[in-house]
Formats: sequence, C-alpha cells, structure tokens
Amino acid sequence: MIKTERVLHLKSCRGRKVRVVREHYLRERVPCYSALCAAGCDNRDGKVLPGDLTHYVVPDVGVVVDYLEVLEVRELQGIVFTQTACQALQHAKGRRQYNRLRNLLKDPRHDCVLFTNEFQEYSYCPREKGESQDQWQTRCVYSAAVWYYNHLAGMKDVVMITEDREAVAQYGSLNSGVYVISVRDFLLNFWPELQAAHELYSSVSLALQEKESEVSEREYAEHLPAEVLEAGIKSGRYIQGTLNISKHRAHSEASITAEGLSNKNSDLSWGVLVSGAKNRNRAVHGDVVAVELLPRSEWRGKDTALTEGRGEEAGGEDGGRKPMPTGRVVGVLQRNWRDYVVTFPPREGPPPQSRNSQRILAVPWDHRIPKIRISTQQADALQDHRVVVRIDSWESTSLYPNGHSVRVLGRAGELETEVQTVLIENCIHVPPFSDAQLKEMPVNCPERPWAVDPAQVAQRRDLRDSHLVFSIDPPGCEDVDDALSVRSLAGGARLELGVHIADVTHFVAEGSLTDLEARTRATTYYLADRRYDMLPAVLSADLCSLLGGVDRYAMSVMWELDAQTLSVVRVWYGRTLIRSSYQLHYQLAQALLDGEPAEVPELAGLGSEERGGELARLTGALETLTRVARNLRAQRNRGGALELEGVEVRAQLDEERNITALVPRQPLEVHETVAECMIYANHWVARKIQESFPHQALLRRHPPPRQEFFSQLVDTAAARGFSVDTRTNKALADSLDRAEDPRDPLVNRLLRIMATTAMSQALYFSTGLQAQDQFYHYGLALDRYTHFTSPIRRYADILVHRLLAAAIAVDRGSDPGGAVASNKELEETARHINTKNRAAQRAQKSSTELFQCLYFKDRDPQSDQRCVADAVVYSIRDNGVLVFVPEYGVKGPVYMKNREGEVAAVGQDGRCTWQSGAVQRHSDRITTTSGCGSATFRLFDHITVRISVRSTHCHADALVLDLVVNGPHRRAAEPSAPPPRSQGRSSQLVREVVRQAEEASQQAQEKEARRPELSREEREFSQTKTPNLYSLLEEVRELALLDPDGVSRLCASTA
Amino acid sequence: MAGLELLSDQGYRLDGRKATELRKVQARMGVFAQADGSAYLEQGNTKALAVVYGPHEVRGARSRSRHDRAMINCQYSMATFSTAERKRRPHGDRKSTEMSLHLKQTFEAAVMTQLYPRSQIDIFVKILQSDGGNYSVCVNAATLAMIDAGIPMRDYVCACTVGFVDETPLADLCYAEEGGGVSSLALALLPRGGQIALLQMDARLHQDHLEALMEAAMTACKGVSKVLDEVVRLHLQEVSVLSAE
Repeated sequence: MIKTERVLHLKSCRGRKVRVVREHYLRERVPCYSALCAAGCDNRDGKVLPGDLTHYVVPDVGVVVDYLEVLEVRELQGIVFTQTACQALQHAKGRRQYNRLRNLLKDPRHDCVLFTNEFQEYSYCPREKGESQDQWQTRCVYSAAVWYYNHLAGMKDVVMITEDREAVAQYGSLNSGVYVISVRDFLLNFWPELQAAHELYSSVSLALQEKESEVSEREYAEHLPAEVLEAGIKSGRYIQGTLNISKHRAHSEASITAEGLSNKNSDLSWGVLVSGAKNRNRAVHGDVVAVELLPRSEWRGKDTALTEGRGEEAGGEDGGRKPMPTGRVVGVLQRNWRDYVVTFPPREGPPPQSRNSQRILAVPWDHRIPKIRISTQQADALQDHRVVVRIDSWESTSLYPNGHSVRVLGRAGELETEVQTVLIENCIHVPPFSDAQLKEMPVNCPERPWAVDPAQVAQRRDLRDSHLVFSIDPPGCEDVDDALSVRSLAGGARLELGVHIADVTHFVAEGSLTDLEARTRATTYYLADRRYDMLPAVLSADLCSLLGGVDRYAMSVMWELDAQTLSVVRVWYGRTLIRSSYQLHYQLAQALLDGEPAEVPELAGLGSEERGGELARLTGALETLTRVARNLRAQRNRGGALELEGVEVRAQLDEERNITALVPRQPLEVHETVAECMIYANHWVARKIQESFPHQALLRRHPPPRQEFFSQLVDTAAARGFSVDTRTNKALADSLDRAEDPRDPLVNRLLRIMATTAMSQALYFSTGLQAQDQFYHYGLALDRYTHFTSPIRRYADILVHRLLAAAIAVDRGSDPGGAVASNKELEETARHINTKNRAAQRAQKSSTELFQCLYFKDRDPQSDQRCVADAVVYSIRDNGVLVFVPEYGVKGPVYMKNREGEVAAVGQDGRCTWQSGAVQRHSDRITTTSGCGSATFRLFDHITVRISVRSTHCHADALVLDLVVNGPHRRAAEPSAPPPRSQGRSSQLVREVVRQAEEASQQAQEKEARRPELSREEREFSQTKTPNLYSLLEEVRELALLDPDGVSRLCASTA
Repeated sequence: MAGLELLSDQGYRLDGRKATELRKVQARMGVFAQADGSAYLEQGNTKALAVVYGPHEVRGARSRSRHDRAMINCQYSMATFSTAERKRRPHGDRKSTEMSLHLKQTFEAAVMTQLYPRSQIDIFVKILQSDGGNYSVCVNAATLAMIDAGIPMRDYVCACTVGFVDETPLADLCYAEEGGGVSSLALALLPRGGQIALLQMDARLHQDHLEALMEAAMTACKGVSKVLDEVVRLHLQEVSVLSAE
C-alpha cells in the first residue's frame, strides 16, 4: 500500500473554511469484477461482468448524477460505475439516490459493478492545482476507463459516456481502445433498438433543460438548510414527522404524524395540522418534513362535513372542529417520491406550431399528489393516456413540481390500463419471471418427470407408508400447501396430530434469483380478476403443491397428544417425505363427518369391501381431527380470542367471492377445523424458533388497539341499547356476542366491522427488537404467533421455514452457519414484507372498487333495477349519513343536503325529493325539515339508495349513493335471504365486466392490429385464483378489515 | 445531511484501507540527546513525540515517593498547531489531564517499577499533529522512548483504537472515523502474554459485539508490536554499528 495525502477544504461547524488533510491509501490490487481478468483479481465476492459483451461502459460523473434512471434499464449491460461518480452522486443527490445506486449494484439481475478507482494505484489521479472539480472528476473517470482497458490487456473495448462536449473533444482520440462519446451517440450506436431507454433519455434531458430555463419568481418560502433543521428538531423548535395529506380535502388539509411525540406532549398526540398549499411548502404526501408550530391564535380544526370531493371522513368524532395544533413546513428531511401515474389532459385549442416540446400539466391519479409539469414532445399522442412519471424537482419559484415521463400505460378507462394503474400506485412491480429465474427451477414434464432424490429420502423422515395424510381444500385447488394427518399411538393412549406444509425452501435456495424475486414481491397479489404469483408456476402449482397420490417434500410439525385430556406430550419438527392419500374438498369432508353417503374419487377403483374399510379409516381420522380442533378452539376462546371473522368475513365474502365463487355460504365446521390446526402449527413453530433464536426469530404480533378508536363503536352500539366492553379482548368478544339484534342480523355485522376498524394492524417483526410482552397476538389470544403454513404465497413463511430448519440443525448439534439472518437484517425484511402486504391489500381493494365501478358504469341508474339497493346507516355526519350496502359490499356517504342547500324531504310514500329546508344532527340521528314535514334517519335504519358512477377523467371513478326511499328496499323483504343471490350477483359482476373488457379489446384488436405488447403479456400471465379456504379466509380477513374511511389508521387484520 | 459512509459495500474505508488494516507507522528512536530516552512516532497523520527522564530521585513532594517501587509521572499535551484550527490549550485542559492519567496507569502496569524503589520516572508526550487515535499513538511513542531510555519493562506496550461500524470492527480509527459517531474502544496490550494494560471505552455498544471488538483490537495491537519491534531492532543495529566503530 502506498500512502498519499489528499487536501480538502471543508466548512467547519461555525461556517469557517478549514483545510483538512486526509490520508489516502492506494493499492495495486483492486478487484475489477470482470470475467476476462487475467491478472488474478479477487473477484469472488460480488457480481462479475460477463466476458461475452462487445464493450464495457464507464459513465461519467454527470451521467451518473443526471441519468441514473437510464442506466437502470436492465438491458444495458456491462456498466462499470466508478467510485468517483458514486461519491459525486451521494454528494449531489443525497442518501436516497445513493442508496438506489447501491441497490442497483447489489441486484444480481442487473449487470453492473463498482470499481473503486480512487484506491487503485494506477488509476488514481490526484487533483492538480487550479483544476476545477468537474475537470478532475472527468479525468479520474477517464483514467479508470484506461486502466480497465489495459488491465484486461486490450481484450475489451471500453466506452466512456459523458454529457460534456469538451471531454469528448479532449479525450476522444487519446487511446485506441477507449472511446469517449456522448450518451445520445452511445444509445444510438450500441442500443438502437432499445426504445425504452431512448425515450427515458430524451424525457430526462428535456426535464433538465426545463430546470435550467426556470424563471425566478418566488412562489414558496425557501426550505431551511439541513443543519438548522437538525438543530431545531433536537431543541424541540421544529417537529419532525411524515406528511399525510387528507384524501378528501387534498388541496387544503394535511397533517403530520409524528413519531414518539405522544408521550411528551399530549397536545400533539393527534398530530399537527398543515393547512393550505403555502404552509405545505412543496412537501408531497409521504415526505418526512420538519414543521414549525404557528401561534395558538392561528390554530384551526378539521372539517367534519361530508364533502363532494370524495365522501367519507377520517376520524370525524364529535367536536372535531375544535382547534388543533397547526403548523407550517419549514424543510423537507426526506423526499419519498415514488412513481406516479398521471393522465395527460385533452388539449384545448389549436396545437402550438413551431415548438417541438411542450410543457404539460398532468394530473396524478392520486388526489393527494399535486399536478406535475412535464415537458414532452409527444403531448398529442399521449392525450387521455395514463403515463408513469417521476418527479425531478420542485423549486421554490415554481407552483408545480417538474417531472418526466417514464412509460406509457395506455388509454384511460381501459381495463388493462386501470389495473396497471392500481399496481403502480401501490408500488407493486410484477414483471414476468425471467429466463434466468426459470432456469433455476426443477423440471417436471412428461418427458422428464421429476423424481424424489434418494439422498433426500435418507435425510427425511419417511411418512409415505406409516401415516394417512390427506388435504382439505376448496374443489379444484391447485396449490395445496398444507396437509394433515392423525393417528393413534401406544394402543390408543396417545394421539399423533401432524400438519405438513409444502417444503418450498428446499427448492428456493437462499440468495437465488427466485428467492430474490420472491423477497421483492413478498406475497402473491390477488386482484379481483387475476393474481400475480410470488413463485413460478412450476413450484406453486406442481412441485410444492401437496397433490394426492404423489411423493412430495414437506416440513412437518407433529404433536403427540394425550388421547383423553388432549394435552401435548411431545412435539416433533422436521423435514419429511409424504404422499397425500386423499385430496378432499370441504363439502366432501363435511359429508363424511356427517355420515352422509359421499363419493371419494380416490376409492372409486376399489372393491366395495375394501372401500368400506378405507372409508371408515378416513372418517375416523376426520372425526378425531374435529375433536382436537374443537378442544383447541375452546382453549383459545377462554384466552379471549376474537371471533371477528365469524360473521363479518361472510359479509365481505361477497366481494371476495368475485374471485372464486366456490366458497359455500354457510361455513362448515371442517373449515374451522383446518384453520384451527394451522393456527396451532403456526403457534408451535413460533414457540420453537423464538426459543432457538431469541433475538432473531420472525414472529407476527397484533398489538392491542388504542381505546380511543373504540369510541365510535361504543356510541353506535349504545344507540341500539347494547353496551360494549372494550377493556380486554375477552370482554370485547363476549360483548360483541351479546350485541345481537334478533330482528336485524346486520346490526351485529356492522358492529363487528367497526370493531375490526378500530384494531391495529398485525405485523411481522424480529424478536430482537421487541420486549417479550409485546409478542402477544390480540386477535388470536396467543402469546407467540407466526406464519408458517403458506410458504407458496407468503415470503414470511419461507423465512420462518428457514429459521425452523436452522433450529432443527441446532438441536442436532450442527451449526446453522450463515443461515440465520441477524436481527437487523430480519427487521428490515419484516418491514419490507409489512409494507408489501399493505400494498397488496390496498391494491386488492382498489381493484375491487374498480370492478364495482365498471359494473355500474354501463347501467342507467334510473331504469336498471340492479342499481337500486338496500342500505344500512352506520354513522351520522353533519350533512349526511354513511351507509353500508350489504348486497354489493359497498360503503359510502349519502347526502341529506346537496350543494344548493336543499335537503332530502320524505314524502308520504317514503319517496325522497330535494326541497329547501334544514338539517339537524344529533348523536344518534339526523333530521331533515322541509316544506312537507320532517324526516329522521337513525343509526341502523334501512334505507333504499340508487347507485350510480361519478366518472372523473384523471382519477379513479367513484360510486355515488343517492337516497331514494326512506325505508328498506322492497326486494330485501322477499322471503329468500339476500346473501345467496348476492353471491351469484357478485361473481356475475366480475364475469360480466371481464367479458365486456375482452369484447372491447377484441374490437380494438380488429381495428388496429398493433395493440400494446404489455396487455397481452399480462393477460397471459393472469390466472384464476384457487387457494384453499384457510388462505382465502385469511386473505379475506385482511381485506375485510379495511374500512374505506380509515386508511390513515390502517385497519387490523387478526391473522 | 447524510453522514459519511464509513465502510463502503466493497469493504473500503474512507481513506482506502480495509477494515483490519492499520495506518502506516513510522518511528525513530533517540531523537534527542539530552533526555534519557526519546522517540518520534507517526501513525498515519497523527504524529507524537515522547521523552523519558529517569529513573531519578523524587523531585518535589517527598511524600509521594513509594518505598517499594518507582513512581511514574506522565504529562500529555497537544501542540497548538496540531489540529486544523489553531487552538491554545493551556495546562490543566481536562482532556489532557485525563489522558495523562491514562498513560500513567498504562505504564505502571508495564514498567518493572519494583526495581527502582523511591525513585521517579517522567514521561512527556506531545502530539504534534492530531488525526485520531491520540492515546494509542502516545502509548506507542512512549514505549519506544522507554526502551530508548533502557528502563526494564515486562513487554512492549502497544495500543490501538478500534471502532464498530455496520457489524464490523474497524482497526486504528482516523479522525474522520472517530468523529463519525462510531463507538470506539482503546486498548493497550502487552502482546506477548496477551495481558491488558488499559481498556477504555465511553460509548454504547451491545454486549454481544464486545468480544469481536476486543478480538480485533488485540490483533491490531499485535500488528503494532511487530512494527515497533522492527524499529527497535533497526535502532539497535545502528547504535551497535556506531559504537563498534
């Protein structure tokens, strides 16, 4: 190593200039990460550039800083980032951009490496006297490029790309193998067919030009420098928090949710209000900002009236008008800009002539995001299209942020476009699995059938002959990830219960491409009409699926229970080899249990005597299983498990049934039996991994809800004369059971929905980061819980499987090695999975809403009977009520007072008309008074509403509910209960919408032969969803708890 | 404002070293003729001068003398020009007093004081340029000065600071790293027996990491001892050649 020195001029904390001398060590051996390297570089850790490329690319500092996005295009290969450029990026663009580059370098799917040129003896060039920083950086990068060329002995040409014309002129012809060209030339010469990169490049460069030509007229106050903010936050002068813009009054209202403020200052525990765009000072939804409190005289309250904008009100309790702390944003600590979907507005007036690029104000799909100014040459072509854009900057001189377009999704209003919009708005990226990923997968096709590996047979416990294993799922299920077994031991004194889960981790090695992709996706995404799998189909539907009659690897938990008391005597965890004998479905299993005659397809080939024996064996096993499950359920109920899913999942199943249309209305006992076994397995695995790895086990906790959130529930229940005790989960469960109105089953259902809204969300976490008493799962009343039973569709389960395997290895005395992630890594992964789960829920919800809107869009609300439905009032607001429409599972506002100030007057026959009058709100009712008398709407009243769609051009369409009759809808009074009908109706809803969309797309295809590639790919990729019931219940439960008006305090899921 | 990235993904530190690599150490013994022993030591950009007087009879307060061993007196100071901004440090600077005390404790553990009862050994150390790891540089310089003075010690006393970043121990911190919010630990070691003469740490660190950090510190100290040993041998050679002539 050679030691040199580097002189830096830095600013000291007091603002004085200080001359700092830093050491700088150079070495001869710096890994080059190229497969061609003949000098024996140590390229073992990290990615290696392949040798079969035509050239390597070394981007200049300016290119990395401004055009990193272009370099992120995955098709561009052989990129060598220099350390000089990385440091410049960190300096110029901050930590976030730098992390993006770091992730890019770590991503094995992306072909790029980092060369630490400044630590290499021969590529380092010290800065000369009088040399500007830019010149010096260019020289550094160039010398790195030359070093690469020489290091690889001239075998590979090196291209340095720069935006600096002088550099091209100065260095262009110095060396034969090293070319210096501009980015545009580079793309044109080497990647002429890569349209995406070209478009991105021109879009970014236009945005940069735009920035230079800014006029300087100040619209906003300048942000304070970072040091001042930091000091201010420490001293308590400013408050740090995440900006949360109100969905309903996006232009005026935003609030700060601050971390850890509640204990210090009770005034601020509900957050700080930021009102108006000036006070918001260029912060965008989700940014971490610092706010300064305004004097008390300027404090304001939130509005509680329903607004036409969007409808429902977040957390509008009584007295919501009371002034709350109000502040203004003084600085942004962390921008959280993501990709936004915007719609290009239709142009008014004649096209401008001579200009080749135009500035367009595009309207984002999300109400909370301000309009984005984009300069583009394709403004005409993109009218009415939805486009993905990124925000580049927001200067204080500009009313709107500047951005650039990334890619075009399609015309607004088309099904494919809208579904893509939903995905992007929720930050979900699900490209088709790449060839490299699919290459890792084992093969199973008729020519080369997959077979069990003898080495694995030796390692695993073989249950193929000793145990009767069966699975219970919905009919037609493809991905069976759990199977059960039960048998008696020791002459009947003991019972052995086994839960066998597909051994996904055997096929998905840690760190493999499939693993990385699964980690990125974190879960399988279910949308209303399609699903995006977490794992490739060969695993999820075949090799990992515990199908009947074939050998499969499994991860098993087996309990030995005392046959009488059913207490656990011994638990065994391990990898097994199973062959499922029966692939039952729920109705069949229930029929067997009930002793009804049933046809088991697996036994069809046997003689009647044999069949009888086998059937008796199977039925016996099912009966034992049911007995055990009942016992387990009773145990948990004593602990206070909430039966929130009981009634209310069924309510929401209307929506969910869109997807399967297979789940029976009446839940059979066997559903609960299976679910209970899975919960039990999850619980015991949680115990095991927590005991083996006290600091780095992945568990799932469900914190108790905050009591304040129950106030709405308690008040609403009181309106019907029920008292709800919310002190503990047991008390809550009991009082919810009591709150049953014999005349109206919907009351209980609505109360349960409200209870779930008040819940906090269940989360994955690493045990090292929480105290043990925080592990509690409130909804299930278990002290430790995790997810173990669905590794095919949840990444958390894969992690838990790995932990369990490591725990078993520790028990055997062998070293788990690097298999166990550290607490910090695990917590990071857990946070990622939590975010993705939330995104998946939101995406599912918005896609459901999308389908509801598409369904009602083509119907005339005046004439079509299907647009009139029964609704139940569940909340009272200043100028209207919130209702729930059980038939379609829709919640929304109904206005009693319209914009003209007229109120809904109720005539003799209950018909409603608009007349001038007044509205008076009470705690449990709302009264309208007008010329023809007054009408009162109470909580839980049934009213009839008409559903129509309010189309907006740029945002998602919304459903509008209008009051028709003050009384139950006539059809609801029919003797046949509405649910079965709604089942048919809802699944029909999706089918109809899909059919319409397909017809439309066919017509479009006929019209123009060239349809976007993307949509066809996506259609190919979409599959029908056939999960087992347990997974479905869980899915649904998570969905069910989403209340449209509570995104700010995201609902709970009890699993 | 993003803090500095102390350890890059490629495993390089700010100045291009790897996590376990020490800074360049250069030293000379016997730089002054009038003192009993002296040494000059550079460790990277930290430069220190150490001078040893003694053993001699106790000066000043007689009461301080010990009947069974020698008393060690240490004085640490920093030159006014040693940092980026000139700063006058009159005596009695708290940090210097603390550092003096640490040095005294270190050498009391290493010097065979029982050989010189009722006498005193003075160690003066001055930092000429400061760039992190002042304590360890002082200890290393003073060790050489002690050897130069011919005072018997149990072993070389070698010191090194280590820090903990991203679950990785970094050896021999420079100033930028020390200031970067790293929990650092200073260790003075008698390398042959592996005895610890002084261990000092005033930052928070998870108990689980302490062992790894200590391990790294010991390795670093042994590395330093190798360098010091070379310096001493070279010096001896020079001296013996001179005296032979």
